[in-house]
Amino acid sequence: MSALPTDLIGLEPAIGRSPVRRAAGRLLADRWAMLGLAIVLLFFVIALGVWAGLWGGNWMASAGQRWEGPSTRHWLGTTILGQDILERVLFSTRTAFEIGLIVALASSMLGALFGALSGYFAGTLIDSAVLWLTGVLDAIPFYLFVAALAFALKGNPWAMHIAMVATFWTTTARLVRGEVIKLKELEFVEAARAIGLHPLTIIHRHILPNTFHILLVQATIVFVAAIKSEVILSFLGLGVQDGVSWGLMIAESTTEVTAGHYMNFVAASSFLFVLVMGFNLFADGLQDALDPKRSGR
Amino acid sequence: MTSALLEVEDLSIEFATEAGPLRAVEQVSFRLEAGRTLGLVGESGCGKSVTSLALMGLLPGNGRIVTGRILFEGTDLATLDQAALRRLRGRRLSMIFQEPMTALNPVYRAGDQIVEVLRRHEGLSRRAALDRAIEMLARVGIAAPEQRMVDFPHQMSGGMRQRIMIAMALVCRPRLLIADEPTTALDVTTQAQVLAEISQLAAELDTAVLLITHDLGVVAETCDEVMVMYAGQVVEQAPVGALFAQPRHRYTEGLLASIPRIRKQPLERLPVIPGTVPELSAMPTGCRFAARCPQAQADCRARTPELRMLGRSRSACFHPAGEE
Repeated sequence: MSALPTDLIGLEPAIGRSPVRRAAGRLLADRWAMLGLAIVLLFFVIALGVWAGLWGGNWMASAGQRWEGPSTRHWLGTTILGQDILERVLFSTRTAFEIGLIVALASSMLGALFGALSGYFAGTLIDSAVLWLTGVLDAIPFYLFVAALAFALKGNPWAMHIAMVATFWTTTARLVRGEVIKLKELEFVEAARAIGLHPLTIIHRHILPNTFHILLVQATIVFVAAIKSEVILSFLGLGVQDGVSWGLMIAESTTEVTAGHYMNFVAASSFLFVLVMGFNLFADGLQDALDPKRSGR
Repeated sequence: MTSALLEVEDLSIEFATEAGPLRAVEQVSFRLEAGRTLGLVGESGCGKSVTSLALMGLLPGNGRIVTGRILFEGTDLATLDQAALRRLRGRRLSMIFQEPMTALNPVYRAGDQIVEVLRRHEGLSRRAALDRAIEMLARVGIAAPEQRMVDFPHQMSGGMRQRIMIAMALVCRPRLLIADEPTTALDVTTQAQVLAEISQLAAELDTAVLLITHDLGVVAETCDEVMVMYAGQVVEQAPVGALFAQPRHRYTEGLLASIPRIRKQPLERLPVIPGTVPELSAMPTGCRFAARCPQAQADCRARTPELRMLGRSRSACFHPAGEE
């Protein structure tokens, strides 16, 4: 989205506030959204720490006895193999962010591209092709699709990502298509044609920037959906192939819980719950802040 | 006869619909000399906007030019491909629209939108384009143009936005400006100012203007010539003075009679033209105005009147006004 308002060199607005800044102002005033953002940022810092090697690196090692309770050495206890649960739950945060970011970015880009093309050329062959593709992808049950892909890709760690992107971009594309159909009838698009711009320039410079609010909100929704789906898929054994994730931890805990060892389950599901909650709060606030029908602050 | 800037000959436009092709514009011909202003008048749906979109090559997807030529500076626009038209649009001919509230892109500063035209057509550097844009804003009567350059559309009034549109349309000094009801959405005081600015700038830049409107007052103030359209056809064309002094076509006569004004004898009620415009899908044979015309006779319904000269006007009427 390089085409957001660029500033004019040497000409600073005295009262000029861009749509983005107005939305940011509304978002900052929303306490629940800010709480959500704080939670998301906290998890993001955890994930960054894992990437930087500050913590979570010891998730595989057997550092203690099996099924130790919480202690100063192992704050959240240990697993059946004596692995530190805190290390594993922290490392899983990184897994979750990786999946969420990759899937959200890829499906937003695909959705924006195909949605804009099919909306702008609505009623033409391009539109029919995109609609047919989204229809077909939506018609395949999600888990069946992932299982088929996982099988087809023979244990490739990206099978899950590809399956999620392939199913999640369709919603974004549909939303963008609707917005573009609305936008292209507006006179500024007609005016862009009247100054002799190429249709692809018009889509890129004049239409897509006006769908940015949809893309942003949709990306946060996809992010959460990807994290949740990862948990379910990993639980079913279709998900994370290398590394550890909250879903794998919950899968491991199924037999432990009946035996009275709750730490694996509690740690993974609380982390998941808090992050998803925080993200939903933030996404809600973002949606309100970006709603053009809400005037003022 | 010198060759005109714009010569439209026998232009017919059809729209493909589920009910079959509908002819929105039927055999329209007119000339526009360089630097002159032609008013195109008619009620909603009479084909005036469709005609202007056809000139720009911006007909919607289901519309097409069936017959006719649009000679602009000697080139037939009807035969040009989209790429060639794009090179002309915004540079040699440009257009301003009715609705200033939505005619500017809400995510860009006003200045960026003018700069875009210059960079597209004149390949100017950003710096040079900025200077030209500021100069142009000053010329369309905007105070503190440097300030307005960095404003977003939502910070401006309707009149201000329409001036930005005019600046965008005229910044490359086009030979022809098509103004599609440029002041309809503005309040009356702003209307007069914006019209005056369009006229003055067009005169300075020697730009011809095709002004589309349904407001005869606007025509009287700004145009050299008027063309009246009814149900997709030109029914009368005349110099402004001649048209207002002696309308020839009965439709024009009816339009002029229905303008509210102060009369010596106050009227019980304002005269109206009875009836409605015939549907495009069910055009009557003969004169299309016959069903609403107080003077219509048997021959009006049987044969289609051709445009013919009558005094200084061309009109398509078998029983024109002022001949009794």
